[in-house]
Amino acid sequence: MPENGLTLGDVCVLDLSEDIAGPFCSKLLAGLGAEVIKVERPGSGDVSRHAGAGLGASPHPEQSALFLYLNTGKKSISLDITSQTGAAILRRLARECDILLESFPPGYLERLDLGYAALEPLHPGLIYTSVTPFGQSGPYRDFKGSELIAQAMGGLMQTIGLPDREPLKIGGNAACYTTGMSAFSATMIALYARHVQGYGQHVDVSAMETMAVAQIHSSIHHQFGRTPSRRESPLVEAKDGWVSPGLERGVRQDTWVRVCELIGRPDLKDNPAFNTPEARREHQQDLLAILSGWTATQPKEEIYHLFQELRSVAGYVATVDDLFTSRQLVARQFFQVIDHPVAGKALYPGAPFTIQGHAWPHTRAPLLGEHNGEIYGGRLGLSTADLARLRGAGTI
Amino acid sequence: MQLQMTRTLEEPMTPPALAGLRILDMTQIAAGPYATLLLGFMGAEIIKVESCSRMDINRGLARPTPETYRMYPQGIPGERPWNRSAHHIHRNVNKRSVTLDLASAQGKELFVKLTAICDALIENYRASVLDRLGLGYPQLCAVNPRLVYVKISSQGATGPETDYGSLGSTLEQTAGLASITGYEDGRPLMTNETYPDPVVGTLAVGALMAALLRRHRTGKGTFIDLSQREVAVALLGEAVVDYSRSGRLAAPIGNRHPLMAPHGVYPCQGDDLWVAIAVGSDAEWRGLCHAIGQPELAEDARFATLPGRWQNQRALDDMLSAWTRGHSHYQAMHILQAHGVPAGPVVTAGEVLGEPHLEARGFWDTVNHPEAGTYRQVSTPWRLSKSPRRAASPAPGLGEHNGYVLGELLGLSGQEIAMLEAKGVIGTRPVSMDEP
Repeated sequence: MPENGLTLGDVCVLDLSEDIAGPFCSKLLAGLGAEVIKVERPGSGDVSRHAGAGLGASPHPEQSALFLYLNTGKKSISLDITSQTGAAILRRLARECDILLESFPPGYLERLDLGYAALEPLHPGLIYTSVTPFGQSGPYRDFKGSELIAQAMGGLMQTIGLPDREPLKIGGNAACYTTGMSAFSATMIALYARHVQGYGQHVDVSAMETMAVAQIHSSIHHQFGRTPSRRESPLVEAKDGWVSPGLERGVRQDTWVRVCELIGRPDLKDNPAFNTPEARREHQQDLLAILSGWTATQPKEEIYHLFQELRSVAGYVATVDDLFTSRQLVARQFFQVIDHPVAGKALYPGAPFTIQGHAWPHTRAPLLGEHNGEIYGGRLGLSTADLARLRGAGTI
Repeated sequence: MQLQMTRTLEEPMTPPALAGLRILDMTQIAAGPYATLLLGFMGAEIIKVESCSRMDINRGLARPTPETYRMYPQGIPGERPWNRSAHHIHRNVNKRSVTLDLASAQGKELFVKLTAICDALIENYRASVLDRLGLGYPQLCAVNPRLVYVKISSQGATGPETDYGSLGSTLEQTAGLASITGYEDGRPLMTNETYPDPVVGTLAVGALMAALLRRHRTGKGTFIDLSQREVAVALLGEAVVDYSRSGRLAAPIGNRHPLMAPHGVYPCQGDDLWVAIAVGSDAEWRGLCHAIGQPELAEDARFATLPGRWQNQRALDDMLSAWTRGHSHYQAMHILQAHGVPAGPVVTAGEVLGEPHLEARGFWDTVNHPEAGTYRQVSTPWRLSKSPRRAASPAPGLGEHNGYVLGELLGLSGQEIAMLEAKGVIGTRPVSMDEP
């Protein structure tokens, strides 16, 4: 174990990626204790610094909620890698790191002589992870992608939404986050292989393939003779929001009888349209119509707890404010308060998993170029005069 | 263990990344099985433990009712439906199956012996199930201190709701994802794809690797607590941070984007076929105008800037739909991408299986399953240049590898194995099949 006791406490990551998928991967690596050096374009930095969470762009590059969330625990240096000096500095840094993470269009870094083929001879142990919409090969390699396009092209979106409407995107940036998780797991597999087998390699992660893996019903059922389609929602309205009763799978034998008693409809106990999980799935919309009279009078979280106690797999649609008051999330201290010199204090989702013995650090996102002195001066030994020259040339 | 490797011409043959790793798999439904599915592709040996009285729910009912026939290839349950259900076939490739009745003392004893020869245990039962069986982390750690125990649960291993049950669809709700998914009318919707399940499965792989790297240094195993709900909350982190700072509550906005326009899916030729288009920069906008044969639009002051396009997105949607209706969804993608515009078809279930790009990258594996026939299998969302992906081996029949696991791995004699079968500790048919 490294002296700091962190799982990846002796791992250094050079992170050239930006926006969501790559930075989410390196956020997880930082959470495991890796030193993540984020390389940003001088001046504007990571594009996510300019994304507003509401409508409109972020008013300030140090206040974007997206950037603040995705870059916890990292160091930031600014570097123009398109200049010869910048590229040379990057090569020096890459030699000292274990992992290089990037999200440029395929071929971009090769043209700067910073591709895997150029760096592997300098550092055979280097793990070089590329996170892109379509991967490093194939006919769409140079196509442009996005969150929406990944969901569409992975085969996921076609079945999401209502039958009489257009296909619907999962809200927010779910595909990009999941691609970040793919990149994280793939990088960790490569790191494990390096420990056991002794070499680095190029890791190619594709958002489209991440989504194709995430469609867990469509392709298999289609092949076996049943093509899934968009269908009616299994949610029913409660007094203050939406719930799903969860009576179709994973329920106990006596759950249905107890639900009938709870909602004051004992007459339905033996009704063959509802008295097995399969029948309830078959007649889902009828069942929701029956339940709606009762659910409309009850708060959603109470329905959730009542139905869970009856051993159903009920759910309630939590809005973001509900998450902060969930007794379960509160008891597990999932949300973390993190302070930031410009953005101030905010609540952040904490560790998405914990490892016994490892204390997940919860430290803020860096200011643009905040660690130039530490990395260029301390790590690379550049003098104050060197730094001034680089700054003058716009390299940092 | 015999492995078949995916060969590529340009790369030298090296062992799979996870060769030599043995994982005990106590997972069911989707999130857990997806984790071990991916680990199997990377070369780990996966031993799936079920009991004949409680199979992985993916295997369906012991005696399927007509309402569940749609779960089976061509709607036919066949002679051994538990070996043939679509979910089982698809999620349990690359695994070996052993059955153990964990309610019996002998079943428990064999389970503990298995944990002693495994590197990791992954499970996703209701949180308290293994503890109640006396097979929780403390007990297993005492037998094998090097064991990494990956506990995937709905709500996490602690807390007042730790034993709440869930499915991927439930987690979309309780994690807040459904509250930001939906059309512009604001009504929350779910994915129908139990989205958090594959997400959690994908993440659990990296979590396990981290614990194994830790073990290299400490010499000791550890315990991973992975709450599916918390993982799903991580998917909307910026909405959480933003709400805590500004009080702005995220809500569904359909296929629109907070900054970009035009942004959405547009109808194409054919029945229920669409193309997704996401235009951000001015350069992409100009490309779009040329692609749809209206270069003069690029000069229109209303649309000259991103905020202008966003303000006037309904007008843009109408113009764009008029153009997309005249094209197939793939044609539209090729024309738009040729002009530097991010666009792609909303791929149907049938199309994804023959998708030219996925095909060119070798994404699909073709599997010949002895009881379900030949089909195309999802593989991994990554490729490693030196660590080959294993070619998918078909999902195992219930108890198919009892002989290998109990005989070869644990050293039981044929006679002992026969005795276990006679006592019902192991088997290859669901118990309820033999009940009156």
